[in-house]
Amino acid sequence: MTIRLLYIEDDLEIGRYVTEDLTRRGYSVEWLLSGNKAFEHVPQADLVVLDVMLPGLDGFTVGQRLKKEAPHVPILMLSARSSVEDKLQGLGFADDYLVKPFHPDELAARLEVLKRRYSIDAMQPVRCGHLVIVPEQQSVVDSRTGGEIQLTAKQLQILLYFIRNLNLILTKEQIYEAVWGEPYMDGDKTVNVHIRYLREKIELDPSHPTIIETVRGIGYRVRR
Amino acid sequence: MNTATRRRESFPKRLRRSLMSQYLLLVLSAILLIPFSFPLVGLMIGLPNWWADQADKDNPYHDGARLERIWHEEAAKLGGAAPETIDSELRRLHTVYSKAGMFWVDGSGNTRLQLPEQQLLPRHWNADYTVQFMKEAANGTIFTIVAFIGTSRQEGFLVFQMDRERMISLRAGANHSDGAIVSAVMLLVLALYLLMSLLFFNRIRTRLVRLQSAMTSPAAGGIPNPVAVDRTDEIGQLELAFNSMIEQLEAGRLREAEEEQLRRNLIAKLSHDLRTPLTTIRGHAFSLVQENLSEKGVQSLRLIDRKVEYVGQLIDNLLSYTLLSSGKYPYEPKSIDVVRMARIQFAGWYPAFEQADFVIDLDLPESAVYWHVDPRWLERVLDNYLQNVLRHARSGRYIAFHIVTDGGGQIRIADRGPGMAGQSEDKGAGIGLSIASLMLEDMQLRSEVRSSEAGTIILIRPDDSI
Repeated sequence: MTIRLLYIEDDLEIGRYVTEDLTRRGYSVEWLLSGNKAFEHVPQADLVVLDVMLPGLDGFTVGQRLKKEAPHVPILMLSARSSVEDKLQGLGFADDYLVKPFHPDELAARLEVLKRRYSIDAMQPVRCGHLVIVPEQQSVVDSRTGGEIQLTAKQLQILLYFIRNLNLILTKEQIYEAVWGEPYMDGDKTVNVHIRYLREKIELDPSHPTIIETVRGIGYRVRR
Repeated sequence: MNTATRRRESFPKRLRRSLMSQYLLLVLSAILLIPFSFPLVGLMIGLPNWWADQADKDNPYHDGARLERIWHEEAAKLGGAAPETIDSELRRLHTVYSKAGMFWVDGSGNTRLQLPEQQLLPRHWNADYTVQFMKEAANGTIFTIVAFIGTSRQEGFLVFQMDRERMISLRAGANHSDGAIVSAVMLLVLALYLLMSLLFFNRIRTRLVRLQSAMTSPAAGGIPNPVAVDRTDEIGQLELAFNSMIEQLEAGRLREAEEEQLRRNLIAKLSHDLRTPLTTIRGHAFSLVQENLSEKGVQSLRLIDRKVEYVGQLIDNLLSYTLLSSGKYPYEPKSIDVVRMARIQFAGWYPAFEQADFVIDLDLPESAVYWHVDPRWLERVLDNYLQNVLRHARSGRYIAFHIVTDGGGQIRIADRGPGMAGQSEDKGAGIGLSIASLMLEDMQLRSEVRSSEAGTIILIRPDDSI
């Protein structure tokens, strides 16, 4: 499936370059020079990359209106302003935020995160070590045997949360609040216990885990 | 322009409006009131006196001198008269002055007719008694007139006796209160003057207090509201001056806000104009890497990429510093769990340190530490310090990130780099640390930096825990 990406950028050089780069990475990019027509195009888009467009300055207005028209479409802001001012104004509606000059790899990585978070790319099974995780079917398959690994609902939710945040280190507070949907209480061991049981089911050697890594002092991470 | 119109006012006009002339007028009227009050006092004293005089006129015993004159005349007329004539004359006089006692003594010293009869009088007057009687008459409480009958002193004498009480004038009684009236009027005048002065100064005081409270209670913008000017005296002019000062302050603040807006726009535009070409450079450098390049070429492009990233951060720091030092960096403190925040924050940096082959020494407590700060600010501070370690202490390959809970909590970041005085690949990055210390100061946190050739230790803790 091709991801349709709406890209709004007034600088021709950057616009041409980013369009080229993202097209090469497999996106179907629609590049607009201004935000005026953006509302007509947003219904056909899966993702929006929006430049703040100084000195026109209406990038925020465009973004807010886009978010109102299509709340399910994630917006990544590209900014050339001082970061804190932008963060205050921009992150209110934007889902992510990247300051120029950004590295093309970084933009691609951020878009990947947004895709996973909004389950845009949910069809794609994720391969992780000896596991193949198919989010759409809520199933985890051992690729060596082809057999499905039976997980409890909470275990599956935890694993899928890791998959949505691949390569990121997650603290147990973040995991608890994302999976249980309640504020984390100081000293709660629930997450540790669940991860120990999860590891016993998915790790080849639960005493030396390779799928769910422990980052001592911070939390856990699943890398691809 | 207000000052100019005030200056053009004529002198008498200004004089009339002056508080000083108002007060002088008050003093002057008090002084003038004293002479004007004299006729009043005179009237107050004169009226009862006049009334008393009128009453005296009806009192026949009042005027002793007159009585004496009449008595002598009557006695003179009786010269050579028969004793019967004298008796009848005496009886007639007694009908006129019935309240007085009368008698007469003949030439040979015998007491004759007495009206009324007195027991004390002797039948015959010898020389000793006569002298004694005369002496008593002059000093006693009885008013006595002795008049010889006729012109010779051989025919005897007429005596008129009356209680001195009868002679006392009503006016004499009134005279006692004259002094009290004068004092009372003077006191009244003084009291009136004091009251007027009090009212005068109280009015001034009220207005000054009103002005003072207007000056010391600033409105929403931090500048006091102008006051209503209803008089044009000295205080009125003070109020006008105060109002025009406020006007100037307001104008100044507006101008400052405009300048601030201009500066912000300039900064934003500058930032945009610098970052846009950098983005293009970075993107094109990246596409070059994908071409078939020599190892040296790839190295060069990596260096370009690193420098572009660095310049980008430098721009951000520069602009942040400008905003921060002019106090325009939004600050919204709240109570946050620093341990939780720092853990998430460091999680973001972890891969970068991992990639640079750092030994990562983490020690974050299980229990929370609460600080009252703006989380964005603290994030920025930690970012700047961690960025600094990654950039300048790479050679040490070591980062320690600890939080201790004692003493209100403390964050400790340590590296084994060449120290702040040492040589580093990218010089001139001090601005990132300047921002960090400015921000910490504003958040009432204290940072302590211990730097040597063996590395750098940065301690961050609340200022009041020292």
